[in-house]
Amino acid sequence: MRELAQQLLNLEAANQSASDSREHTAVRVCEKLRISLTRFVGPDGFASLMRRSLALARTEVPLLQSINVNSEGALEGIESLATETPQEQGEAAIAIARQLLTLLATFVGEPMTLRLVREAWPTSDE
Amino acid sequence: MSTPAENDPRQERVNIRKLPTGVPGLDEILGGGLPEYSFNIIAGAPGCGKTTLAHQFLFANATPQSPALYFTVLGEPAIKMLRYQQQFTFFDQSMVDASIRFVNLSQIVLNNDLGAVLEEIIKEVEASNAHIVVVDSFRTVVRRAQATSIEMELQGFIQRLALHLTSWQATTFLIGEYVESELRDNPVFTVADGLFWLYQSIERNSIVRKMQIMKLRGQESVPGLHTFRITDGGLQAFPRTFGLASDSTHVKGQRRLSSGIPEFDELLGGGIPEGDSVLMAGPSGSGKSVLASQFVAEGLRLGEPAVIAIFEEVPTEYTRRAATLGMDFTTPQNDGLLKIIYIRPLDLSVDETVHEVINAVKRIGAQRVVLDSLVGFEMALAPDFRHEFRESLYRMIVALTRLGVTVVSTVEVEENFNSMGLSNYAISFLSDDIVRLRYVSINGQLRKMLLVVKMRGSEHSIDMWEYKITSQGVVIGDRLRGYRGLTTGIPGPWSIESGQNSPNPRDDILPEAKSAHNE
Repeated sequence: MRELAQQLLNLEAANQSASDSREHTAVRVCEKLRISLTRFVGPDGFASLMRRSLALARTEVPLLQSINVNSEGALEGIESLATETPQEQGEAAIAIARQLLTLLATFVGEPMTLRLVREAWPTSDE
Repeated sequence: MSTPAENDPRQERVNIRKLPTGVPGLDEILGGGLPEYSFNIIAGAPGCGKTTLAHQFLFANATPQSPALYFTVLGEPAIKMLRYQQQFTFFDQSMVDASIRFVNLSQIVLNNDLGAVLEEIIKEVEASNAHIVVVDSFRTVVRRAQATSIEMELQGFIQRLALHLTSWQATTFLIGEYVESELRDNPVFTVADGLFWLYQSIERNSIVRKMQIMKLRGQESVPGLHTFRITDGGLQAFPRTFGLASDSTHVKGQRRLSSGIPEFDELLGGGIPEGDSVLMAGPSGSGKSVLASQFVAEGLRLGEPAVIAIFEEVPTEYTRRAATLGMDFTTPQNDGLLKIIYIRPLDLSVDETVHEVINAVKRIGAQRVVLDSLVGFEMALAPDFRHEFRESLYRMIVALTRLGVTVVSTVEVEENFNSMGLSNYAISFLSDDIVRLRYVSINGQLRKMLLVVKMRGSEHSIDMWEYKITSQGVVIGDRLRGYRGLTTGIPGPWSIESGQNSPNPRDDILPEAKSAHNE
């Protein structure tokens, strides 16, 4: 799942426009997954998955202690990572995305997770 | 963005790990264990073992890395619960706090709305990283909420609780004193993945406990009511499948087993077909147990271990009686070749009995089993189970013969002198082979006669034979020829004049029959 998370972050970084240049790629990856997955698990369900994912990611990347998940499941406070090195920011972003994808795969399996991800990035195979 | 797993239809389904319940027998009922991350309800009346079941699960699964949280709410105070639960052998004090934490929610439930209760549960679960969560009693939480909340609020609370605990990768048990009439309207039953219903009934002086898995998402459980018992070790369940769910590989009748009496073996067409269920039916004192003991003794002589389940006398008495007939049951018991199980607590279920017999069969590798007697067996059952005796007996015989063992059951028949019944239970259909023993009045004497009534799929003697019980056991005597009405127990001689049914009447008449006729 680390490769998939990295792939999604790269996709978002490549598609980044001038208007959303200040938004962290991890936020954009999670936001896309939120929109796609909320239809499937509901807002409360997605918020619960994000909270769990963030908690698991924090055990790997302590920097994420300052980040929270709001009631809709969106990441908050990620701008605090701006002072960290690009590598640390990258590790933090990968950790969140990877944990979310892993958690999803734990519940519904890897093939189903990939289908849901493909719904969020319909052009990714091109 | 695809992986080999995605392209392989065989790997499409997510693998759901099954957790051990810690309750012997329950994993088999559940189809292998409890699905990880499932949201479950344990329901039942007070005192039926709900809290103990939850504790067994906690102590079987909680670790410092995957801890458990036990929320108590207005029910049994935690201090009393710990006091009583630690009496069970599964309770490991070193796990309390290190792996299992108890949190009291009573005040929050009393003073706040459902939102605050949910928030507190989430806070504790996230802080402790709990992988197992129990709320005891959830019914209390709901009852409090029902008094103050609208129905949709309650439904939303249950939905959010389930969502959050599942997302948090927790396997959850909500415990409640529900009654079955609530099943239709209570939203908690809709949300739950697993629904365990425990029952307890008292009939006369016996307590009967049963459980049913009313719902279990994602895997096949064994349907129906399963007996369970609460012992020092906690709950022990007795699955209706007796642990023999897989197909039997044993083929019946591949060889004949000697009964220990060569003349009797001849009547049986060469012995008892291996794997058969044999019924020895007869009145009290007719020698059923002696025949059964000789069958066991012969097996032991040939190195075939045996199990004898007795219900009417204690093993020492049974052993002593066998010794008076020249059979040594003491040495093989000491050598682990013979197990005599005495079962008579008066509140047994058939499933428990079979569980005990099957365990003994597996433990010593028994090839011969004697159930002595079915009447005693029925009396040992709790009254609640007696009405299903035939059905249970059928399951027991099937379970035992699936193991490949040969079963000899004795059954006492209330004798009358008009007809010859096979048993008072209409259970003869359970048996492959039936031997009927009976008394007959001949020449002023009460003699003993046996008849092989049925041998499924094989030839056997159709004659009636006199036999005696001697200090060496049962000794088969002569064929009883020249009598009519032997099956009634009061025979008379064939009519010489009419030659009724006798190909050669004069030859058939024994001197004693003639004299009986002349009397």
